Amino acid sequence: MPSERFVIPIGPQHPALKEPGHFEFSVEGERVTGATVRLGYAHRGIEKACEERNWVQSLYLLERICGICSHIHTTAYCLGVERLAGVEVPPRAQAIRVLIAELERVHSHLLWLGVAAHEAGFDTLFMYSWRDRETVMDVLEGLTGNRVNYSANVLGGVKYDLDEARAETIRKGVDYLEARTYYYLELVVHDPVFVQRTRGIGTVTREQAEWLGLVGPAARASNVARDLRVESPYAAYDLFPVQMVLETAGDLEARVSVRLKELFESYRVIRTILDKLPTGEIKGRMPKKVREGETVSRVEAPRGELFYFIKSNGTDKAERVKVRTPTLCNLAPMMTLAIGHQLADMPMLLAGVDPCFSCNDRSIVVRNAQEAETRWTWEQLRRYGIEVYKCKR
Amino acid sequence: MKITTMLGDVLRSLLRPNSTQQYPAERQPDPERLRGKLVWNGEKCTGCALCVKECPALAIELITLDKAAKRFVMRYHIYRCTFCAQCVENCRFGCLQMSNTDWELAAADKSAFTVYYGKEHDIEMARSAQAASTKPEPAEG
Repeated sequence: MPSERFVIPIGPQHPALKEPGHFEFSVEGERVTGATVRLGYAHRGIEKACEERNWVQSLYLLERICGICSHIHTTAYCLGVERLAGVEVPPRAQAIRVLIAELERVHSHLLWLGVAAHEAGFDTLFMYSWRDRETVMDVLEGLTGNRVNYSANVLGGVKYDLDEARAETIRKGVDYLEARTYYYLELVVHDPVFVQRTRGIGTVTREQAEWLGLVGPAARASNVARDLRVESPYAAYDLFPVQMVLETAGDLEARVSVRLKELFESYRVIRTILDKLPTGEIKGRMPKKVREGETVSRVEAPRGELFYFIKSNGTDKAERVKVRTPTLCNLAPMMTLAIGHQLADMPMLLAGVDPCFSCNDRSIVVRNAQEAETRWTWEQLRRYGIEVYKCKR
Repeated sequence: MKITTMLGDVLRSLLRPNSTQQYPAERQPDPERLRGKLVWNGEKCTGCALCVKECPALAIELITLDKAAKRFVMRYHIYRCTFCAQCVENCRFGCLQMSNTDWELAAADKSAFTVYYGKEHDIEMARSAQAASTKPEPAEG
């Protein structure tokens, strides 16, 4: 006798995070048997808008793709455009870029820890981790003048230099945060409430992670050595190398601890940069027009690999800017992994990859709502296949 | 496995002062690099308009009254500004600064969001020129 099957729509107004995304879970009892995701609610047409702005104006538009990892977006864009233009960026500027990127990673991971704790119903941890996150927000505000959207990057370098007084403030903040991170790491592996929600849930084996194409901390939690800061060091990561942090368990608990352990690496890199900051200029000369060509720029955002494709036609405007954010790579695997889990685990499973929908929604396919859903017969599908390959020839 | 792992921290927090600040009754000092309202000092301005060309939000207009005599007026639309300080970066003569004290920019009146900078009679001239250009055509008949 067939069991009853329900489809449970979640969102776009209330998914795991406070951002719009629509999920549909088909369930048999409590068990999820199928999951789909629909994206595009936060599509803002940023890529197209870049084609109508000059190189500098696009920088500030792209910074607004994500409110949390804004600096890494501009870094990816700047590195790409500078490579196209053949501009040498002074090492001091590159080091400051890395410094801000690592501070941003600290703020992003602490924010995520709070969100994950909130989804697990552990609001005390949520409040405390966000309280401590204020420390790094204040550090960033002191360094760049803003809590988010720092506008620290310019094409050819950075805007803000670092002096000894500021370095000391950063050191103090990092010392406090390091102590707190130790405490949180202890907490997330020992607290019975939190462990119940994370241990053995959403387990991804190494093979699965590689096959599904997970990126960032979600991949590293499954022992996949994937970190662009190590694999292809950009900006100043060759001067200030990072150790890759890996976990083997592949479950939600591993995803929590990989992020927290990564923070210790960030603290170490921040301290090294403060001690050994290269001297010199912080800005190179940037031409108004960028010579013709195309480039790919990849950086490691807090959530994983961030990919930029930039094409120039020799004018002061970009011909094409394509952005692929890590959330896109991580959401689809989660839909596959959701199958077989309890419905109650879905919020944690989704929060576990740290999804960022406004980052993610780069393109949208608009279908005519009037059009009735069509179904193809086998014959139609066969014809379609032949037609597609005919056109390709 | 420990039970009540956070209890110690929670009890210690009872003795800590509040983490939230009671703004506006209680104020933190303004960060030195805070980017607030844009301020223009036109004494050295050459009218190159680099600030205008690369403004991502099209928040600045430079009105040239007399290029030879270097008479310029800047019209600054606060409501469009993204406070990125690219204009400050672009100005080679240091005419532009972002105030770190003037950042509470909310107003009940729309006119507060458009600011004119320049010499007083120049501003008057620019204003009247703009008023004349936007005056509706008199209806025929």
